[in-house]
Amino acid sequence: MDQSEIDALLAGGGKAPKKPKVAAKATPLAEPAPAPASSASASAEPHKDGAGHVISELDTVTSVTERESNKVMDQLDQISRLVSRQQQLVTDMMRHEGAQSPGVQKAIHEVMSASKEIQDKVFEAMDLMQFQDITRQKLERIVHHLRQIHDYIVDLLGTGLKSDSERPSISHTIAQTGTTPDENKAHADAVIEAFKSQKKG
Amino acid sequence: MKILIVDDSSTMRRIIINTLSRIGYTDVVEGENGKSGLEKLGQGGVEMIITDWNMPEMDGLEFVKTVRGQNSAIPILMVTTNAAKEDIVEALQAGVNNYVVKPFTPETLKEKIESLLG
Repeated sequence: MDQSEIDALLAGGGKAPKKPKVAAKATPLAEPAPAPASSASASAEPHKDGAGHVISELDTVTSVTERESNKVMDQLDQISRLVSRQQQLVTDMMRHEGAQSPGVQKAIHEVMSASKEIQDKVFEAMDLMQFQDITRQKLERIVHHLRQIHDYIVDLLGTGLKSDSERPSISHTIAQTGTTPDENKAHADAVIEAFKSQKKG
Repeated sequence: MKILIVDDSSTMRRIIINTLSRIGYTDVVEGENGKSGLEKLGQGGVEMIITDWNMPEMDGLEFVKTVRGQNSAIPILMVTTNAAKEDIVEALQAGVNNYVVKPFTPETLKEKIESLLG
């Protein structure tokens, strides 16, 4: 088995094509992205085929999702600013002489209450965007393992290029998918408490 | 109060900044890894650090060890996906004051910050 076959195998193909067809298949997520500050794209550079392609594809996925997540955050920021502006206008309206009747005041309070609800939902949506970073770290872990397999096979067969040594630190034990923030907090707090008691004792 | 946020994910930094502003902390400086975090710290005025663990160039653990190696007693909160007991203990031994596992709620972040400043 030569290097191109190893690479093709790692890329998920069967027989090694001379020019990997997968590289030509551009998915929407594979469009060129600006160099991410936070991914392992630089370290994936030496790989051009096979495993390298899978690794760089995963790097692209992480950088594109980060870029798109920031666009969603921009939109949420804008909604938040608009809601704040609306709240300011309604507050001004409340002080207006013509808005002093109980019926108008009640309606204005209802608008304010609905507006606050929108603002809370916007903040909630922003908090939920944490999934992007967690997913990115899970993908980085997959890339890390792929590199290990790649290097192991290269070592075994004594052929081909090993991946470079410069790699970002990866999470070894990401909180299990589906754990709630409350469960995460309870777990961390319990360990911290145990650590503190042990230190005291 | 100036807070330094060190995280390689710009999305996560925005989420943390947003949460901080909702609880009244708006003076924030950002670093995208431990190395740039140390640079920002060196510029002075930082009273609290919130750092991720897994980052390129210099990870959060090394960053914390470097800060503590400079005899700094600045409160450090680690906010990370690393959830294993051994990881939490390792971070505490390195000098982290408190620890938050992602995903977190704004209430958790608020509680941890207040406990560090309390």
